[in-house]
Amino acid sequence: MIGALRSEWTKLRTSPGTIWLLLAVVVATVAVSAAAVAGTTCRWGGCDVDPARLALTGVQLGQAVAAILAVLVIGGEYGTGMHRITLTAVPRRGVVLVAKAVVVSAVIVAASAAAVAGSLLATRPLLRRNGLPALSMDDGGAVRAAVGSVLYLTLVALLALGVATAVRHSAAAIGAVLGLLYLFPIMAQAVSDEKWQRYLTKLGPMTAGLTIQATKHLTELPIAPWKGLGVLAVWSVGCLLAGGALLVRRDA
Amino acid sequence: MNKTIIAVDGLRKRFGRTVALDGMSFTVQPGRVTGFVGPNGAGKTTTMRVILGLDAPDSGTALIGGQPYRALRRPLCHVGSLLDAGALQPSRTARNHLLWLAHSQGLTARRVDEVLEGAGLTTVARRRAGGFSLGMRQRLGLAAALLGDPPVLVLDEPFNGMDPEGIIWMRGFLKTLAAQGRAVLVSSHLMSELQDTADHVVVVGRGRVIADASVVQLLAATANGRVTLRTDSARAATVLADAGGTVAAAGVGVLSVSGLATDAVVALMNANGIGFSEVSAHRATLEEAYLELTRDAVEFKAVSR
Amino acid sequence: MRALIQAEWTKFRTVPGWVIGMAIGGVLIVAFGLLPGIQGSCGQPGSGSECVLPVGPEGQEVSDGFMFVHRPLSGDGSITARVASMTGMLPPGPNDDKMREGVAPWAKAGLLIKDGTTQGSAYAAVMLTGAHGVRLQHNFVHDKAGKPGPPGSARWLRLTRTKEKITAEESADGTTWTTVGTVTLAGLPQTVQIGLFVTSPQHAEGANESLGSFGSYGGPTMATAVFDHVTPVGSLTGTRIGGPANKYADELGGFEETGEGVFTITGTGDIAPAVGGPAGIGASISDTLLGTFAGLIMVVVISTMFVTAEYRRGMMRTTLAASPRRGRVLVAKAAVVGAVSFVVGVLAAAVVITLGQKVLRDNGAYVHLASTATELRVIVGTGVLLGVTAMLAVGLGALLRRGTTAVTVAIVTTALPYLLVMSVLPPTAGQWLLRIAPAAAFSMQQSLVEYEQVANLYLPVDGYFPLSPLAGGAVLAGWAVAALVAAACFLRRRDA
Repeated sequence: MIGALRSEWTKLRTSPGTIWLLLAVVVATVAVSAAAVAGTTCRWGGCDVDPARLALTGVQLGQAVAAILAVLVIGGEYGTGMHRITLTAVPRRGVVLVAKAVVVSAVIVAASAAAVAGSLLATRPLLRRNGLPALSMDDGGAVRAAVGSVLYLTLVALLALGVATAVRHSAAAIGAVLGLLYLFPIMAQAVSDEKWQRYLTKLGPMTAGLTIQATKHLTELPIAPWKGLGVLAVWSVGCLLAGGALLVRRDA
Repeated sequence: MNKTIIAVDGLRKRFGRTVALDGMSFTVQPGRVTGFVGPNGAGKTTTMRVILGLDAPDSGTALIGGQPYRALRRPLCHVGSLLDAGALQPSRTARNHLLWLAHSQGLTARRVDEVLEGAGLTTVARRRAGGFSLGMRQRLGLAAALLGDPPVLVLDEPFNGMDPEGIIWMRGFLKTLAAQGRAVLVSSHLMSELQDTADHVVVVGRGRVIADASVVQLLAATANGRVTLRTDSARAATVLADAGGTVAAAGVGVLSVSGLATDAVVALMNANGIGFSEVSAHRATLEEAYLELTRDAVEFKAVSR
Repeated sequence: MRALIQAEWTKFRTVPGWVIGMAIGGVLIVAFGLLPGIQGSCGQPGSGSECVLPVGPEGQEVSDGFMFVHRPLSGDGSITARVASMTGMLPPGPNDDKMREGVAPWAKAGLLIKDGTTQGSAYAAVMLTGAHGVRLQHNFVHDKAGKPGPPGSARWLRLTRTKEKITAEESADGTTWTTVGTVTLAGLPQTVQIGLFVTSPQHAEGANESLGSFGSYGGPTMATAVFDHVTPVGSLTGTRIGGPANKYADELGGFEETGEGVFTITGTGDIAPAVGGPAGIGASISDTLLGTFAGLIMVVVISTMFVTAEYRRGMMRTTLAASPRRGRVLVAKAAVVGAVSFVVGVLAAAVVITLGQKVLRDNGAYVHLASTATELRVIVGTGVLLGVTAMLAVGLGALLRRGTTAVTVAIVTTALPYLLVMSVLPPTAGQWLLRIAPAAAFSMQQSLVEYEQVANLYLPVDGYFPLSPLAGGAVLAGWAVAALVAAACFLRRRDA
């Protein structure tokens, strides 16, 4: 296992795209978050905005980049046929997938921690300028939103890894992942029936998972924050297990 | 000769309606190069994949030192393999490619530099593997196969895309590896590539073994004792036929005789006072032997299409 | 060129994965469209038909709810009155729990001639509005402005019938009259109802302009107008016509004659074309096409891969060796996937539009009527949306060459702006984005009509797009052309 881990780490480290993708996760997240806060004004005196959610809007784009990284970790090998070398070096295929999941998680946790911290720092003056409620880290909700967003990005990456393992083709895999993520919120918005809206929100990996960013009106959420992240975790684990089962059973 | 290191026994596998392996069985011994030959589509690559635990057979086993590949703890220290030299991430350098492989086996970077040197790749070690020529990729693939200093090597079509110089180098390299006591299994669809290299050949066609013999045996069987005789005498054919040989003209003043040994032919000529300029035992090439063996398989294919 | 297109078509149809993928795209559109129960419903789900809308004389669905204080009028005649004052109540704000004082901008108080008291019947009315001055409106969709005048100031109004012609006049002092306009109500019977009316429409307002938590709130409003100098004086009866079936309606509709020719009338509802969205009800045929997005993502992925797969396998070299004019290869590719996607879109939309409405109605949902022309435009529009997006994806694929990057960029450019508009962006930013992003082309699926004289938030979420169908399609086409031209330039310059 340690050999497999070291090997996957070396592979990830020596792939020239990795560092750029990790940087892109940070830049995309911080930029969109900052733009979102900068563009927000309150028409009503109360200004009901959830500052945590707003200041972390960029996660919605950052996740796409994190998903690319995860997809390439396995899809890139299938694209060149290198997966056969990997599997002759480590014939226990479950171990290969676990090792990949661990190293992907590690780098995504690091990158998304930077992305979340960057977003919160960058949006702090903007929130004040626009007269929006400040975000205090003494507040348990804000800490949950920040830590939860890091976990959210990591779980999205794991979901993408699982899908890519099952699909074996990078382009198709990223299409499937982004479809899965983006379709639920679009559907939920398009459906005018509130019952269905809540149902779709509860079910979708992105819609449920992002409830972890909520710090206001918690009782009105279709699903509680940690539970919502749990839904995403179920998706991720499910995709990894499905991908793992196929990896073990299929001819390489 | 019972130090069998690769044992393939009764492998069967179909892909949809196509039968890829149809009871493939053979063994590979250490200390020699075993050629694994057959026409395209005969099941060579599939067999190798099964040996390496990449494909699962429908039935049958492939064991390495008595264990299935997937049970090996540090497999690259047991078996080195080269399936597809192009299977690299093009943006990674040659050295880094070997480095991750080394790390997967708990080997150090020093071992990587050793095999790079052995394959003559030290100067290009830090270049992107994507820019390598096919020959250089083959060398890199061999370096990867030798990383764990394994007693067994499984190489799929290592001569593919090599220039004549490279082929000569590869032949020498394979012989050296066998001389070090390793078992070397080399597949090829061209028997000529294995001439003077393989000690033993397993000829396959349509998913099963057609012949499994040493090169010497194979050649002897194919040569079938033919003798070429160069003479101007018209009597020679009659004399030889009377002595029980089968004679055929093989050109102006050249006879091909079978059924009589070389010294018997010489004795007959001398006894009858017939002059001749040359007598030679015909030496079959491995290619001829192979074509003879696989003819049926290929013909059957052509008919069944 | 024909040979080239034929070659690309052969390439496309001989990869089962692509053909199946396209088919799945179509199936997704149909499946989401027909998924029972996933659609909106009118008020309560079920077989109740409480929200079947009356249809106006010109075929549109209308809201027709107001307080009418009226008498029959046989033959020609007129009515004059002064709207002395207008007050009203608005629904609670997001942080209040009580109704607020205020007059809705499109609250209406004035004079009305109507072909009976049936909802949807022909009418002409002159009225003072909450914030839009004096208006002459007839048959629900026609609206003509009179003099603006400061809100809340008293105004004299007169409505005169001469055969089928109705003339509206207004005056500030009751002596100097100006004509607002004359309208013709074709086929108006001999006897009509004439009188005073007050109504005040459903209110909708953006709760806050913020990312992440945009919400609209609203509810019924009411208006109370005091009419005096009502002539001719005579016995008038009050009738509540239509209006929302909710608690406010019973509380708010009413009238009182407080003196000779003086009436205080309270009303709620609207006399206007029906709309969707926060201030409206029901679903539109466009709502049945919510699966378009799933289909679109499918189309984008396949179209991108149709190009990038060639780079991945090095087949591009074969392709370019076979036809060295690289720009043409790109055009042929775009034409093939564009055409396939167009056909998929048209077929899927045709099925959904035909059957989806029935599913919605069976669920008890109210579906706004759409003309055949609109239905055809929506169906063809869906095809164009898919087809042109596919071409955009081909351009991006050729530009970026690496499948993963290209697919991500293609999905992010087509899907993410739409998603942000629908879920996160404040409406102003969202409408701005829908003017420039490829998703602008979703306007081709819009079936609801936006009326200036109906107070509503015309938001993309509810199927109102900032651009017309043609303009929206043009924006997408612009993107596709730009991507293809850039790709062609790169393709010509780069080594394959």
